[in-house]
Amino acid sequence: MLYTPLSTTDIFPSSDKEFQKRQCVSHNGKQLYVEEREDGHYQVLQLLSTDPNDFMNPDYLPGTILR
Amino acid sequence: MDKEPSKKDDQNQGDQANNSSLVQKIQQLGQSNVPQAPDSNIHVLSIIGQVEGHVQLPAQNKTTKYEHLLPQLIAVEQNPKIEGLIILLNTVGGDVEAGLALSEMIASISKPTVSIVLGGGHSIGVPIAVSADHSFIAPTATMTIHPIRLNGLVIGVPQTFEYMDKMQDRVIDFVVNHSTIEEEKFKELMFAKGNLTRDIGTNVIGTDAVEYGLIDGVGGVSHAMIKLNEMIGDNQGPEDQVIQ
Repeated sequence: MLYTPLSTTDIFPSSDKEFQKRQCVSHNGKQLYVEEREDGHYQVLQLLSTDPNDFMNPDYLPGTILR
Repeated sequence: MDKEPSKKDDQNQGDQANNSSLVQKIQQLGQSNVPQAPDSNIHVLSIIGQVEGHVQLPAQNKTTKYEHLLPQLIAVEQNPKIEGLIILLNTVGGDVEAGLALSEMIASISKPTVSIVLGGGHSIGVPIAVSADHSFIAPTATMTIHPIRLNGLVIGVPQTFEYMDKMQDRVIDFVVNHSTIEEEKFKELMFAKGNLTRDIGTNVIGTDAVEYGLIDGVGGVSHAMIKLNEMIGDNQGPEDQVIQ
């Protein structure tokens, strides 16, 4: 039991593995921040765009699995 | 007992393939389609979570990485189809130099820019908010103004303090130069005691931020769009219209 104002990550730093799974890729000309899944596919974490219409595109919704 | 007839399995798989994209969409956004909009001449830059600087934050943090935003800002400046930029802020602050880099980039864009502080625009979110040509704050949004601090390994020499003091002056200078707040007032808010439970500084709420001259107006999306369209109209000017 921990009773502390510190955040969990201050006490248990997250491993580098988490970061290695994440990368920024270009997909159909759009910059995407993705995470590699166990099955080798990439899942969209974040769409990096300033165009509001890109966010309307269902192909780039966060959580989409790129194929 | 778990084994079902193979025919049924096949059918299930076929159904799953058909429904998978729909199911995925429902799982992601809780809805099955999203509305389509015409091409926009206004682009949106959202600054969310922590402003990440030279040190990568743990994976569960939501961060805004300056190396992602700086090229986007160049693209906005360079693309003739983009006529204006809205900056949405809901940030807890973060790296001072990354924040100042973003602020300077936004301030030096030649196209009209409007910022909206939603929820919170704390610490380094303050210079980012004031860097736009016109700034709005939602009535419920807040901005915490407090002295900057260092964490991690700090060399315990007087020069470290001097360095921090200069860094703080850079933040103060930027805010004073890009808003109508008086330097004295901003410093007073920054070093106030008793406002924050365990810290020095002030938590400025919507209307107060406007009263102090930090933010130009209280408003939301519609106010920002009206202002931006007005500025785009002014920016084009009558001479351009003659050429066209």
